[in-house]
Amino acid sequence: MSTPITHQDPVLLEMRSITKEFPGVKALSDVSLRVKVGEIHAICGENGAGKSTLMKVLSGVYPYGSYDGDIVYQAEVQQFKDIRASEHAGIVIIHQELALIPELSIMENIFLGNEPVRRGIIDWAEARKRSIELLARVGLREDPDTPIKEIGVGKQQLVEIAKALNKSVKLLILDEPTAALNESDSQHLLDLILGLKGRGITSIIISHKLNEIEQIADEITIIRDGKSIETLNVVEDGVDEDRIIKGMVGRTLESRFPDHTPKIGEVFFEVKDWTVGHPQIQDRLVCKNSSFHVRRGEIVGFAGLMGAGRTELARSVFGHSYGRFISGQVYKDGKPITMRSVRQAIDAGLGYVTEDRKSLGLNLLDDIKTTTVSANLKKISRGIVVDTNKEFMVAEQYRKSLRTKTPSVEEGVSKLSGGNQQKVVLAKWMFTDPDLLILDEPTRGIDVGAKYEIYGIIQELANQGKGVIVISSELPELLGLSDRIYTIFEGSITGVLNKDEASQESLMKLMTSSRKAA
Amino acid sequence: MRMFGKAGKAAAVAAIAALALTACGRTDSGSSGGSSSGSEAFPKGSSIGVALPQKTSENWVLAEKLFNDGLTSAGFKPDVQFANGGVSEQQNQISAMITKGDKLIIVGAIDGAQLGTQLKQAKDAGATVIAYDRLLLNTSNVDYYVAYDNFKVGVLQGQALLDGLKAKKPSGPYNIELFAGSPDDANAKVFFDGAMSILQPKIDDGTLKVVSGQKSFEQAVTQGWKAENAQKRMDTLLAGTYTSASLDGVLSPNDTLARAILTSVKAAGKPLPVVTGQDSEVESVKSILAGEQYSTINKDTRKLVEHAITMVQDVQSGKTPEINDTKSYNNGVKTVPAYLLPPVIVTLANVKTAYVDDPILGPITK
Amino acid sequence: MNALKKLFGGNTRQFGMIFALVALVIFFQIFTSGRTLTPGNVINLFNGNSYILILAIGMVLVIIAGHIDLSVGSVAAFVGISVALAIRDWHLPWYVAVLFGLLLGALIGAWQGFWTAYVGIPAFIVTLAGMLLFRGFNQFVGKSNTVPVPEDFQYLGSGYLPEIGPKTGYNNLTILLGLIAVAFVIFSAIRSRRTAQALGAEVQEGWVMVTKLVLVNAAILYATYLFATGRPGTSFPIPGLILAVLVLIYGFISAKTVIGRHIYAVGGNRHAAELSGVQSKKVNFMVMMNMSILAGLAGMIFVGRSTASGPFDGVGWELDAIAAVFIGGAAVTGGVGTVIGSIVGGLVMAVLNNGLQLLGVGADLTQIIKGLVLLAAVAFDVYNKTQGKKSIIGMMMKNFGRSSEIAPDETTSTKEVISKEA
Repeated sequence: MSTPITHQDPVLLEMRSITKEFPGVKALSDVSLRVKVGEIHAICGENGAGKSTLMKVLSGVYPYGSYDGDIVYQAEVQQFKDIRASEHAGIVIIHQELALIPELSIMENIFLGNEPVRRGIIDWAEARKRSIELLARVGLREDPDTPIKEIGVGKQQLVEIAKALNKSVKLLILDEPTAALNESDSQHLLDLILGLKGRGITSIIISHKLNEIEQIADEITIIRDGKSIETLNVVEDGVDEDRIIKGMVGRTLESRFPDHTPKIGEVFFEVKDWTVGHPQIQDRLVCKNSSFHVRRGEIVGFAGLMGAGRTELARSVFGHSYGRFISGQVYKDGKPITMRSVRQAIDAGLGYVTEDRKSLGLNLLDDIKTTTVSANLKKISRGIVVDTNKEFMVAEQYRKSLRTKTPSVEEGVSKLSGGNQQKVVLAKWMFTDPDLLILDEPTRGIDVGAKYEIYGIIQELANQGKGVIVISSELPELLGLSDRIYTIFEGSITGVLNKDEASQESLMKLMTSSRKAA
Repeated sequence: MRMFGKAGKAAAVAAIAALALTACGRTDSGSSGGSSSGSEAFPKGSSIGVALPQKTSENWVLAEKLFNDGLTSAGFKPDVQFANGGVSEQQNQISAMITKGDKLIIVGAIDGAQLGTQLKQAKDAGATVIAYDRLLLNTSNVDYYVAYDNFKVGVLQGQALLDGLKAKKPSGPYNIELFAGSPDDANAKVFFDGAMSILQPKIDDGTLKVVSGQKSFEQAVTQGWKAENAQKRMDTLLAGTYTSASLDGVLSPNDTLARAILTSVKAAGKPLPVVTGQDSEVESVKSILAGEQYSTINKDTRKLVEHAITMVQDVQSGKTPEINDTKSYNNGVKTVPAYLLPPVIVTLANVKTAYVDDPILGPITK
Repeated sequence: MNALKKLFGGNTRQFGMIFALVALVIFFQIFTSGRTLTPGNVINLFNGNSYILILAIGMVLVIIAGHIDLSVGSVAAFVGISVALAIRDWHLPWYVAVLFGLLLGALIGAWQGFWTAYVGIPAFIVTLAGMLLFRGFNQFVGKSNTVPVPEDFQYLGSGYLPEIGPKTGYNNLTILLGLIAVAFVIFSAIRSRRTAQALGAEVQEGWVMVTKLVLVNAAILYATYLFATGRPGTSFPIPGLILAVLVLIYGFISAKTVIGRHIYAVGGNRHAAELSGVQSKKVNFMVMMNMSILAGLAGMIFVGRSTASGPFDGVGWELDAIAAVFIGGAAVTGGVGTVIGSIVGGLVMAVLNNGLQLLGVGADLTQIIKGLVLLAAVAFDVYNKTQGKKSIIGMMMKNFGRSSEIAPDETTSTKEVISKEA
């Protein structure tokens, strides 16, 4: 599976003047993209700019004939009629939502739909031999018979790449490959992509993590509002993050965090010796003797690698909504309180914005106004009857104050971009008027401009005297936003740093070791 | 805004006014007196409704054809419907027949006790109701009943079982099992009671032995007259009770179930018992010829349909139809005047003569 | 054409199912030579299907919550026979018997709700078990016999509004009900328009509303006319009245109350609902329990209509009710559906059934046609959804209840402009 570059032309792929329309929407208009053989080409743009649509055109999800323009690949105009046709030509796309079957083994997943067959029967010995080779190439030492559900997301991502390699990939497309990965898994993946480049495999990478793009990309094409804006050569043009952002939003962002002067009051929320067991696995603890506190008007960061127990801690405090509660006590305004259900937690003045917006945070069938009031129906009801007029007014008010981009609050939330969905979720929790709002990865999958607005909302909440906990995998975000940061490692709180003493390095040290900081 | 409100109100008022102006209100059309004396005359060529139960046996399929042909040649418009969807479908079919203006409705009920509302509608609309094969219960709105004498059927079945057992083995005791029809069919109990009027004394004196002990009607029923249910029950009985004992005879209420019972016995690899039947279904007549099923009952559907159509003609022309039983069939509200046809038992001994006139069975038995 | 578009809110296909219903009625009216829209037949239509429609009301809530109930036919039969026996053996007066039946339905529902909500067994399994269990109970307590019920109880399933007041040639109570309905429709349309305007929300053009009101009210008045001019002694049937009251109550509950919201929330995304403080177990329990209460009521109405309770009552009803709900626009995955939509779906099936019977089409062909209609209706809806249009039925019912749809591809419809005043 060496790189069969048979053409002298250094251009592997050229998409010329691609235009794709949906009823009522022009998703892509006159987009062009040139990808050279053996390079890593990044595509940047805000959510909804048209990156995914462009990749769906390329991979045949939108078949030839449903778009205008030409796809020239390996010096021939291609007419992919479906995804099989593009895979046959060596173009493999790895989606953000992994297409692996959790119950099947690594090996079965790698060969799914592509099984090595001898006389009509799957040759598992051959499959096994080949999967060990493929796993080695992506740096995995797992047993090929391990079920996918038993390995972490980072390793699953690698299995996806192994699966692509098995299909004799020439052009690998990665859609947000590191979105769900922690720092070290991300780094491993990026190294692997660079390694593949060394072996002549061309990659297109779509990512919101601009630092990663800056690190590995050779060229960057920026798409904005369905149009290709520019293509930058990272080395020649001296591209940095600010330059990319400028291209994406059309102007320079002077600061990535709004100005904020904290007005911090006294401690009002305190958790002591919080210990929680894993929901299924007996004897395994996800939170060990954790204690923390929050002051009024304070933004507190929770830093930790994926799986360190940040979400588990937050959710178990929030009405025991995760795990088996073992011991611990919550104090609010100095008094011990108990919250055994989410309802009690909400009534006690807590709010929790989940990290997984689509599967835990939103009912995608709902519209904006019903979502906005869904955590506090009591406030707009007389007895058991919901006052739909009040509902409308409340939703309108939040639409205006949070500047949610939507034609109407009667629009379905599934039609909104990630940033606007997050604003609706924030509105929902702001409407419960919590004293303490826990935000789990509040800017995941959200583009730069919307992030800035979300930060502004978070700071405004703090200014109103509420306590805010922010859980994030992005250390610059925590450093820019938080007044104080707790670090978590393997279920234990390993340290707490004030804004002025925290840095990426000092946090990372505490996030990866069990030793307590002074 | 206000203007539109006014316009809306104006429209509504106009509509109400229009309604009021149609003036006619209700009319008493469609009813020609509504008495139930059975002397209504209606025009020849009228539509006659025939509501039959589920299409589960050959007899009902044959009846459909006979009613269609017979009513047409008698100058009526036949409207024959099967209710495969159960009682609620039959209710809706009878309602639809009334809407269509059928002057006389022949009802072969799925459950004779659950059609009271529709029969009242029929009566209110002036239609005559004839219960066909199965009596209609708890209603005053049924005019005539035409059927084979079902108690007699049971008696004949019971006697045939005894005769068959004696022919096989001169003296008892005999091991037998009892099967009854579906509990929602009023006839099922009548068949069973008729048979038991013969069998019970023999059970009491020890000549017959119901080895499973399942002697009551409730224990012997076959839900929905379904062959699969009878077969399953027989399978269970054979496996549970007859591992060592031999089975000599089975009382089966009809042919479909008789064949299901025989199938079960064959599958279990046991010698075939004496099995009774009813309905003269083609497959069962063949089975009798082959010496498997012992007996069936010839309740010639042709004769029954023929008589039903004769009744229709009599009612149409204003005559009182011929009745031969005015005492036996009390349906809970009234005693329904009935015409009963005599059933005939058929065994290998008389199978060749019994069906001489039958266009389908005749050639088979020759 | 443009005017027509406006009338139906920008998309003439929105009203697909109501059009289908109207078209079916017109079709049969023509081909049965006017026997479809006669007082007698319309009354039959309601009497002969009210129990299925009542089941559909409960079933749509169950399906919105993401479950299914296969036991409704058996539960109806069990409640029916129990009530019939209670009247016969304990001599309960009819109203006590009805209460007893509802209570029994609630107990059965609590049983099924317990296993579904608190033990976490899928409702499909619980109610499959219930289907066998309660059919068995029916035949056990009734000894597989048919048990008649007295006349006053029959009123529940085959009674009519009484004649009251001056002799007008019409049934006065029916006329009164019709006029109240008209007044209510006009009043609520005007009121919701006023509040929408006050809130600054979009409103339809005035003539659109007036035309809609005229059409709807004309339909109500025509129905009133039919019901009021039937054979003397008949009028608006009691089962129809019960149905109408239930539609109003459950339409209101599903669209406008906290518990209604919670049902949609649990069905749409259980985890998200739980993290918003919804007690999903309680919601599931209530939904299952409610279904069995309504099944009990349907069973009693059927017994009233049949004048007796039999061992095979309610066989296959669950399928009719489920078909009505899906024709009415509910989604198999839950979270979507409306009470009104299900009633319209049920009426489509009922009119089809009735029309084919009037035409004398056999039971076999009728089943084939019904099967095809079910498939076609849902396929049409699915096709429209994948084409990125709103669900016909979902849109159609927007004013009556809540329902939504998933956007086909979120990256196509969003276009966010960054507004940063830095």
